[in-house]
Amino acid sequence: MALIEIRELEKRFNDQRVLAGVNLDVEAGEIKVVMGPSGCGKSTLLRCLNRLVDPTSGTIHFDGQEVTGPMVDVRLLRQKIGFVFQQFALYRHLSVLDNVTLGLRKLQKLRKPDAEEKAMAQLERLGMAAHKDKFPAQISGGQKQRVALARALAMDPAMIVLDEPTSALDPVMCREVGELIRQLNSEGVTMLCVTHDIDLAQAISEKAVFLNQGVVSAEATFAALANHDHEATRTFFNRTKA
Amino acid sequence: MVNGWMAFSRDLQEQLPLVLNGLIETLNLTVAISISGLLLGVVVFYLSTCRSALIRQVTKGYISFFIGMPLIVLLFLIYYGLPQWGVRMSPFTVAFIGFTLNVAAYNAAYLTTAFNGMDATELEAAHAQGFSDGQVFRYITLPQVLRLSVPALTNQVIGNLKDSSVAFLIQYTEFFARVQELAATNFQFFKAYLFAALVYLAIVSLIVVIARMIEKRICIIG
Amino acid sequence: MDMLGILQHLAGGVVYTVLVTLVCSLTGLAVGLSVATIRRLSGAPLRTVCDVYTYLLRGVPVLVLLFIVYFGLPGIGLKVPPLLAMALSLGLISSAYLAEIFRGALDSVDPVEVLAAQAMGMTRFQIFWHIEMPQMLRFSLPGMVNEFTSVLKYSPFAYTVGIPEITKEAITLTATTLQGAEIYLVVGILYFSIYRILLVGVRALERYFRVPGIASL
Ligand SMILES: Nc1ncnc2c1ncn2[C@@H]1O[C@H](COP(=O)(O)OP(=O)(O)OP(=O)(O)O)[C@@H](O)[C@H]1O
Ligand SMILES: [Mg+2]
Repeated sequence: MALIEIRELEKRFNDQRVLAGVNLDVEAGEIKVVMGPSGCGKSTLLRCLNRLVDPTSGTIHFDGQEVTGPMVDVRLLRQKIGFVFQQFALYRHLSVLDNVTLGLRKLQKLRKPDAEEKAMAQLERLGMAAHKDKFPAQISGGQKQRVALARALAMDPAMIVLDEPTSALDPVMCREVGELIRQLNSEGVTMLCVTHDIDLAQAISEKAVFLNQGVVSAEATFAALANHDHEATRTFFNRTKA
Repeated sequence: MVNGWMAFSRDLQEQLPLVLNGLIETLNLTVAISISGLLLGVVVFYLSTCRSALIRQVTKGYISFFIGMPLIVLLFLIYYGLPQWGVRMSPFTVAFIGFTLNVAAYNAAYLTTAFNGMDATELEAAHAQGFSDGQVFRYITLPQVLRLSVPALTNQVIGNLKDSSVAFLIQYTEFFARVQELAATNFQFFKAYLFAALVYLAIVSLIVVIARMIEKRICIIG
Repeated sequence: MDMLGILQHLAGGVVYTVLVTLVCSLTGLAVGLSVATIRRLSGAPLRTVCDVYTYLLRGVPVLVLLFIVYFGLPGIGLKVPPLLAMALSLGLISSAYLAEIFRGALDSVDPVEVLAAQAMGMTRFQIFWHIEMPQMLRFSLPGMVNEFTSVLKYSPFAYTVGIPEITKEAITLTATTLQGAEIYLVVGILYFSIYRILLVGVRALERYFRVPGIASL
């Protein structure tokens, strides 16, 4: 069974049908890339996973458990899914180290030294240990994204979800973050990544899922997507390539 | 309780001319110090942008001192202190002078804050075009700074209205003083003061509405 | 009497002035924080209650509210001691101003950070306590300083309810010596000094809590 199984997921905002029956699996250990035009509901899809957005209908199974019902412990679910945002979303009043330890101390109730030890391990893994006492305003965008990743990883999540992790970064840093994602995946971290950035997509995966008009309209290798029967898919992957 | 209200409203009706008179005095003082405080505030602000370091230092001291000193102390100094040196003035004059000095310091501070947020290149451009310091101040700095400060300046007017109640402590028979007299005739202090509070609240609301309208107008222009 | 003699006479009042200022500032801070918190964490009805509270208290002169509390409430059977009367008038009015300052500061907290905390699995209250409030306090520092100085400057009203602070002492002294000019000059200088000392203290606090990248509003 896949780590995540999304079936016929639907989300309406008022009368706008943003997700119209999405089906998607994410296997443990894999890295799945979702692409699609702006406003097609990519962020909404990710937010349904940890219930930042409540789906209108359909089911999501996470690790075999249904997550859409009212009986689900949403906060526990959220702790198991590490979320990384486009705008990094570091807490700007906290140092790099405190950004990583906050969840460990307040959610996992670790003692401060234990939390710091665990946090430092992640910061070292991502090459940010030397910057632990700096504040978000004092580090670059790429470094912020590393801290955001460390913050998510420190909680020992079952998977990491990334919403356009590079769109606020310059090209060099994009490549850096791409390498990082690949490295983490090779170390066994399951990832679901939404992106506009075809270079990033190709750097971290062979295949991509194309989300269009509220449904998954294709899932294939980049070459296949660029020569897809479906016109919209073909156009999207040829345009983004150019 | 009901009797109390009836006594209160009867006395209020009886003394209404006096109370209204007090209200007019309050509004008089508020309008007078709002205008004089703004004018002096602009002057102080102008001096604080002056080239002479000495003048700048003095105006800075002025602003800091009057912001750091309670208004009531200033009023007492002028009203109870100066007669010792032969300077005697009516309560209104004392209130007018004391408030003006105080309000001007605040207004100058608001204008300075707005000035610090201004685009410096705009001023340089004006100087480069050949405008004199005075012209740059009049045609560029002041209009912009005033516009940016409208919310702070209107808040100051509201503050002036509320603070004008302090003037009764130097025997100026404004609204609150009249309400005291009213309360003293029937000992309905709670009702009288509550009535005063509601009147102040109503006038404050009126100023807020007017200020909103001014802000909207200015937004459309700028 | 020379300036030094006057100063000695007034010194006793300084303690009361500082006491009144502290009590009213702390009342304002505690209530203002509570109002801002309730407003942020609750639904429409309570939020309206908070807004009405701040509107009403910012529309009433300090002196008028003080008289309501101290001279008015006994008429309906509630006797309020002078210091408490100051807290319930000046303190509550400053709480309304502080609540407004906090509201503005909360609006500058980046919503994405709140979303990230939510995605991490924090409760609404944890988010407020660990993310929003620490940032809010830093953003509002200048406004808070203004408010505390304003409390200091309204503290002389305490003389009207019989608290022997600086102004009260000055009135008494003026009555006996008839040296109003010197006395009120000294009073002014005293308040100004307290104000400057307060500022120095706040600056030190600000330096201690300063975080790079969070400018005060
Ligand atoms: N809370 C909301 N209320 C109403 N409409 C919403 C809400 N959130 C998203 N939408 C709408 O849903 C649609 C999909 O939004 P979403 O953010 O998921 O798109 P996206 O694919 O992530 O776009 P982008 O690539 O620009 O990030 C948009 O049309 C958006 O306006
Ligand atoms: Mg998006």
